[in-house]
Amino acid sequence: MEKSKEFRHYLIGFALATVLTIIPFTLVATVGGKVSFFVLILCAILQLIVHLRFFLHLSFKGQQKEDLQLVLFTGLILVIMIGGSIWVLGDLYTRM
Amino acid sequence: MSATTRKSLHPGLNLGEEHGDDHLEAETSVFGFWVFMMSDLVTFGMFFIIFASTAPLACCPGPKELFDLGSVAWQTAFLLASSLTSGMAVLTLKQEHGSRNATTKNLVFWLLLTALLGCGFLYREISDFISMAAAGAPPTRSGYLTALWSLVGLHGLHVTGGIIWCLVIVAGVLVRGVDLRWKLALLRWSVFWHFLDVVWIAIFSFVFLGGLL
Repeated sequence: MEKSKEFRHYLIGFALATVLTIIPFTLVATVGGKVSFFVLILCAILQLIVHLRFFLHLSFKGQQKEDLQLVLFTGLILVIMIGGSIWVLGDLYTRM
Repeated sequence: MSATTRKSLHPGLNLGEEHGDDHLEAETSVFGFWVFMMSDLVTFGMFFIIFASTAPLACCPGPKELFDLGSVAWQTAFLLASSLTSGMAVLTLKQEHGSRNATTKNLVFWLLLTALLGCGFLYREISDFISMAAAGAPPTRSGYLTALWSLVGLHGLHVTGGIIWCLVIVAGVLVRGVDLRWKLALLRWSVFWHFLDVVWIAIFSFVFLGGLL
């Protein structure tokens, strides 16, 4: 029972990830444009969550506190560094 | 509170109490590897920053002349499928701890399949690099190309490392059997491999698809 549940968990993750991959690829190949870019970002974020949840088994329940803190803190660092850099450099770029 | 009563000892798939002491041993080892993996993600983040800051200046040749959407789709498919098969490998390790021979056989099957899919990914990626260089877009051409080659190349190097690690585990399991040492190696490798796919999501979304839009 437990075994097939864990197996299904992976398959659900795989199916979701496949759909979230196919959507942006088809959009870029056929439609394009600004709307596609926002859908692309949305799909990427959703797929990231799918991978962390279904393949890496992270969740808010049943996880040890320090485990989640490790991952969330790294996420925070990345957001500050990447977001901050793009902000600063984007600002400089528009002034050029 | 004794350690065995806790549901999850470390992030990622846990061996479970059926594995006895091995399950407890995994705690520090796998948690430590997660700490490394997080620092590795920060490294990738740095490469993404460099890429993002050069992307607006991408021209002549730019993404539209260089990227092959079909090839990127193939690479994505290879890596996603390998993520599933690597998941099957750890699931085999976790669940089939009764009969040693059957476990080893299934484990080796899933690991070799994962390595094969990884090689398929690398083959596509390297052919793309070769055709890019042939089309007059080596990394020395522009800042954008330097950033592109470094970011995608760094990921490719990680995949290469992951394949070698996978083959080492296969050899270890065949020679020594599925003992604690290789169980821990497999748990850590699966975390590594899954994160390669996570990084690839960001690469195919922002570098390739974002570039083409």
